[in-house]
Formats: sequence, C-alpha cells, structure tokens
Amino acid sequence: MIELQGITKTYADFTAVNDLNLTVRPGEVFGFIGPNGAGKTTTIKIIGGILQPTAGNARICGIDIGQQPEAAKKKIGFIPDRPYLYEKLTGMEFMKFTADLYGSERNGFADKAASELNRFSLYDWRDELIESYSHGMRQRLIFAAALLHDPEVLVVDEPMVGLDPLAIMMVKDLFRRLADEGRTVFMSTHTLAIAEKTCHRIGIIHHGRLKATGTPEDLKRQIGVSDADLEQTFLHLTRSD
Amino acid sequence: MTDITTLLRPRLISIKYSGRGQHNRAGQAKTILLGTVGVLFWAGLFALTLRVLTYFRGIEDIGDILNFRLLSMVLITAFALLIFSSILTTLSKLYLSRDLQLVHSMPIPSYRIFIARWIDATIDSSWMVIIYILPIFVAYGIVYRAGPMFYLGMPLQFAPLALTASGIGATAVMLVVMIVPANRMKSIFIFLSIFFFVVLYLAIRLLKPESLVDPDVFDTVLVYVTTLQAPSSPFLPTTWAFDALKASLEGKVSESLFHTALIWSFTATLWFVLVALADRVYFEGFSKTQTAQMRLYRKDLGVDRLTALLPGPIRAYTTKEIKTFLRDQSQWSQLFLIAALVFIYIYNFKALPLERSPIKTAYLQNLLSFLNMGLALFVLTAIAGRFAYPAVSTEKDAFWLVKTSPGSIRNFLWIKFFIYYPPLLVLTEFLILATNLLLDVTPFMMILSTTTVFFLVPSIVAIGIGIGAAYPDFKAENPSQSVTSSGGLLFMILSAGLILTVIAVEAGPVYHLFMAEFWEKKLSVWQGLWAVGSFAVVLLISLAAVFLPMQFGEKRLSRYQL
Repeated sequence: MIELQGITKTYADFTAVNDLNLTVRPGEVFGFIGPNGAGKTTTIKIIGGILQPTAGNARICGIDIGQQPEAAKKKIGFIPDRPYLYEKLTGMEFMKFTADLYGSERNGFADKAASELNRFSLYDWRDELIESYSHGMRQRLIFAAALLHDPEVLVVDEPMVGLDPLAIMMVKDLFRRLADEGRTVFMSTHTLAIAEKTCHRIGIIHHGRLKATGTPEDLKRQIGVSDADLEQTFLHLTRSD
Repeated sequence: MTDITTLLRPRLISIKYSGRGQHNRAGQAKTILLGTVGVLFWAGLFALTLRVLTYFRGIEDIGDILNFRLLSMVLITAFALLIFSSILTTLSKLYLSRDLQLVHSMPIPSYRIFIARWIDATIDSSWMVIIYILPIFVAYGIVYRAGPMFYLGMPLQFAPLALTASGIGATAVMLVVMIVPANRMKSIFIFLSIFFFVVLYLAIRLLKPESLVDPDVFDTVLVYVTTLQAPSSPFLPTTWAFDALKASLEGKVSESLFHTALIWSFTATLWFVLVALADRVYFEGFSKTQTAQMRLYRKDLGVDRLTALLPGPIRAYTTKEIKTFLRDQSQWSQLFLIAALVFIYIYNFKALPLERSPIKTAYLQNLLSFLNMGLALFVLTAIAGRFAYPAVSTEKDAFWLVKTSPGSIRNFLWIKFFIYYPPLLVLTEFLILATNLLLDVTPFMMILSTTTVFFLVPSIVAIGIGIGAAYPDFKAENPSQSVTSSGGLLFMILSAGLILTVIAVEAGPVYHLFMAEFWEKKLSVWQGLWAVGSFAVVLLISLAAVFLPMQFGEKRLSRYQL
C-alpha cells in the first residue's frame, strides 16, 4: 500500500509536485499519467526513497519512508525509466548482488533467480557481462532483479520503454497477476492505451498537481463526455490550464 | 565543405560557452590554480632552456653542436608525443564518442565525417604539446639572436608537424581498428604506453643519473653526446622541420623556406592518402566498433568464495567492487604503475649514499626514517586519490541502485572504506618496513613509524571516501580522474594537512626519545609528559580524521538528489 500525504517538492523557484495526496491500495495497479515535466518521475523517486520531499510524507505498507527508509525500501521493487546498471557484472551476478542487498539470498536464491531470468528470457544470457546487453535486455534484467525479493509494492517508471511486444504483453499480465496476489503496482506511463488496459485506477498529474483520479470510466464521467477515450480525457484535463 | 564546418560547429559553440558553466567559486578557483601552475611550468621551462642553451653555447668547439643536437632531440620527442597523443584522441573522436551514432545517421559521406573529426582531433591532441615546446624554441631564438623570420616561421613548421603526426596516428588507428575493436585497442594502447614509460623510467633510474653531478662523469657524457650520430634521416618530417628551424636561426631565409615547403608538401600528400583511406575503411571500422565486446576471460577468480562468509549487503558491494575492478582493463595499467612506483621508491632508499654524508650515519638514518613516514603517507594520498576518492563516483549512473536499496548510506560508505583500507594499509606498511630495513633504523623508529602509519592510513582512506562522497561526480566518463576536481583538491589539502600536522606534533618528542635512547639517558619528566601528550593528540587527530569526513560524506550524499 502506498500513501502520499501533502507531498510537495520544489527545486529553487520551481514546484515539481504540489500538495499531492494519494492512496494506492493493495491489489491495485495504479497508472500515473501526465505530460512531460508534470511531476511523474519526481513522485516516483519520492516513493522509491531516492528523493526527499520538501513537505509531506510517503508511507509504504504503513512505514514512513522518510523516517524508516531501510524498512520501507525492503517492501519496494523499484524500476527506473533508464536502465543504468553495473556494466562489468554478468546478469546472474547482478541478480546475486540484488539478492544480497535485500537479504533474500538465503530463500532459494538459485531457483528464484533462474525462474525470474527465464520469465524475462534472459537465462541464456545470465553469464554475459551487462555491457553487452541491449537496452531492452537491461530493462528486463531490472524487472527480474526487482521481483527477486517478492516486493509488496512495485514502483515502475515508464515500464514499457525499450521492451519488445512480447515482453510488453508479459509485463502487463505480470502486473495484473501481482495485483491479484494482493500487491500494489504504481506505474507511470505515456502510453495511454496500456494504462487504460492494465490499470485499475489512473491518476492524471499536471503542473505538479493531481488533476483527477479514478477508473478510466470515472475519468470520462468527470469531463462529462461519455464516449471519450482516455486520450481525449487526458487532453481535456491537461489542456484546461 | 559546408557539411564539414557544420559538423565542427557544435564543438566551436561548446568552446564558446565553456566558461559559462563555471559560475561557482570552486570552478573559478580550480581554473585559476591550474592556470597558475601552467604558467609557472611554462616560465620554468623557458628559464631552464635559456640557461642550458647559454651554458652550452659557451663551451668552445662543441657548444653549437650540442645545442643543435638538443634541438633535433626536442623535435623528435615532441613529434613522438604528438603521435602518441593523436592516437588516443583520434580513437575517441573517430570511434568512441557518444555522438557518433547521431552523426553517422546524417546524410553525409563518411569520409567527410572523418575529416571533421580528424581536424577536431588534431587540434585537441596537439595544442598543449605545441604550447609547451614553444618556450624551448623562443629560448633558441633569444640565445641565437634570431630575426623575426624565425618567430614568424615557427607556426609554419609546427602546424605541418602536428598535422603529419595526427595523420600518422589516424592512419594507424583506422588500420588497427579493422582487426582489434576500438574499446579494447584503447585499453591495450594505454597499457602498452604505461608499460614503456615505466620501463624507460626504471632504466633511467637504474642508470643512476645522480652520478652526472660528478664533473668528470658529466664531461665524459657531453663528449659522448657530441659524438652520437644525429637522427638526421632525410625521410623524417622532424629532420625537415629541424633543417628549416636551423636555417632560420642562422638567418638563411630561402633555405628555411625550402625545408618548410618540403614538410608542407609531405603533409598535403599524407592528407590525400588519409582521406582516400578513410573513404574506404573508416565506416567499416566504425561499424565493427558497434558490435558487443567479447569477454577477455571467463574464468572465475574465486571472488565469490572469498566473500562467501560476509553478511549480505557487505558481500554484495565487496563482490561487485572486486569483480568490476578486475574486469576493467584500464585498472590493470594503474596497478602496474603502482608496482613500478613502489619499486622505485624502495630502490631510491637502497641507492642513498649515506656513508658519504658529513652527518653521523645513525642520526641521519633515523631522521630519514622519520621523514620517510611522511613521504610514504604522501604516496598513500596519491594512491588513495586514485582509488578511495573516486570510490563513490565509480557507481556512476547505477547509483540509483544504492539509493533504492534497503541499506543505509552510512553502511554503504563504511563498506567502501573497508574495501580500500586493508590493501592500502598493507601497501603503506610494506613501504615503511622495507625502507626502514634498508635504512637499518633503531627498533624505536621502526615501532614509531609502523604505528603512526597504522593510525594514519584509515584516516587518509576515510578522508578519501568521505570527501569523495560529499562531492560525487556520477556523470564523469572516467571517475578515476575525478581527483582533479575541486573535491579532489580538498581531499589532497586535508590529507597533506593531516600528515604535516602529525609529523609536526611528533617531531619534538621523537627527537628527545631518540636522543635519550642514543645516549642511553633517561627522559626528564617534562619530556615524558610531552611525549605522552603528543602521541595522545596524534591518536585523537587520527580518530577524528576517520569519523568526521565519513560523517560529512554521509550527510552530503544522503541529501544528494538523483
């Protein structure tokens, strides 16, 4: 579960996120959409514990990430939009590195790592250095590593960037399955069709403010156009400023 | 031609705006400091050359021969440096730069991209060499009272030399990249050049150049140099430049112009050959560079077994750090360089002519041992600047993994500390022990120096890690060079300050203790108290120097926002 209370983040004179209040429940896939520079990545970084908010607090499964960052981060699987990794490690070594960091190395690491690498079609590449991986392979490796410690919350920035259609389909199914298991998935995306098909609820952020939240149907109702698709809803809500 | 100038424009614009990014005081201070050092070096080189040339010119019969031989040697050395520099620069500019994919996707023939890049590489690789050989030539002009033609002609001779060197470098690079991938070639070339530098340095050191101070030996060397055959092959571009400069110094204008024309005609021919070659092979080589590198070796070096007993997060970072280090070929040459440095350091103590000193040997040996403590710690500072200071920055863009992991920044920094502390402690203690044994110091000095070093190594490593964490540079292409940044400068200043403080605090009591032992006397109460107080202060300073920089680094790095 993710709870954001009065989150504000300012950089000098610029307010990237302004008084954001949001709760994402267990078993929910939440899509966070907005134009470029709306504050999506800043919010995701605050949830992931990479960035400190100027005001407000973020709680992960009831744990305040500002007060107890280590305990909160143990609950999260974080997947950034750009897959920067340790180039001189192999895929399997990176999995071991992650398992060691999250303390999940003793819970059947070998089987779990093999299973995740297989799921993301990387098993045959497990002993190659990451520097020889393509962009998409790196992204898949980060997914595999993020799932290794069975996180209760998955935070994903632009999950589909660099993935091939097969991997995109698999990731969409994965998100839904994780939600069915009672976990929370928070993802930001520009691909509205994916958000519409994958997410239980969607939040639209613009100029750092949460403009609307709800199911795709709720959002359409909010703008008062019954036959609008998510794209039209999005444009309507983000153009009005 | 327009597309070549268009391709060069981003570079020109970045030069134009290069000063704008350094609004901060640290950046300005760094520029001023580096500028001052550069000017001082330039002036020193000028003064030294002027003095040497004037002295040589005063020697009857062989004075001019010596000076012109020196000129020829300077030209050959500068030419070799230009080729070396151009190989490294053209490799990066033609094959490894990040913007090359964008440039090659544009509708421009590859040979034109090559020309633009080659011009850029030639300027980049030669400007510094040219600037630093300039004082030598100005000194020649002054000593030989050359006319304005000499000074006006200098750019005409230096420009084709730089272009020829760059042409040779680019040709070699283009041909070798067809066989060896560019990434690997760079590592191999850096390793080979460091290897040859170290061998040359060792050879010169083992020849005992200090014996040249002996006037008899010096005269023999001078006579020997004059009898050496000058490297005056008529096919060497440096010979043409030499002939042109010599004629110009002697006021023979038409002869100088003839030799200058000879260099230019060669440069022009080489340029045509180069462009023709680039048209045929440049793109193919660039294309080969895009393919993934094969691993050089796959053998498991037992790192996992070595770290198996460590707790999870510590094992994660330790294993990652060791494996990354061992797999990064650019690190190997650094290790080789350190081994050579250690060897020369110890050899210098072996070669010390202590028996010829007018001061009593036992006193001198122990005085040297005391000062050596500081020297060894300065060596440690240099090595820590290369490894401990950039330890945090080497995480590069993957630092998000540290930030999102459930470990604290404090633990992360202490893990880094304990990765670098043991090898650096062993290295410094080895230096101290070996040199003390060569100096045959008293047991007191042996215990004092090894203990002081034992307490100061963690301090210097902690300053490196702490200050490196406070001023990280995750965007640096080569973080190991980040010690030249303003944070690196702070690390150097703090480490040097710490070493000098400890030496100063220990000096008085150590003198009294040593003299008491030497003359078999007892210390006075006051001297005893001073000694105990001083060593306690050293211990406190060392501990503070471990914890304060680590806390400072932790505080700043925790606030660092990706």
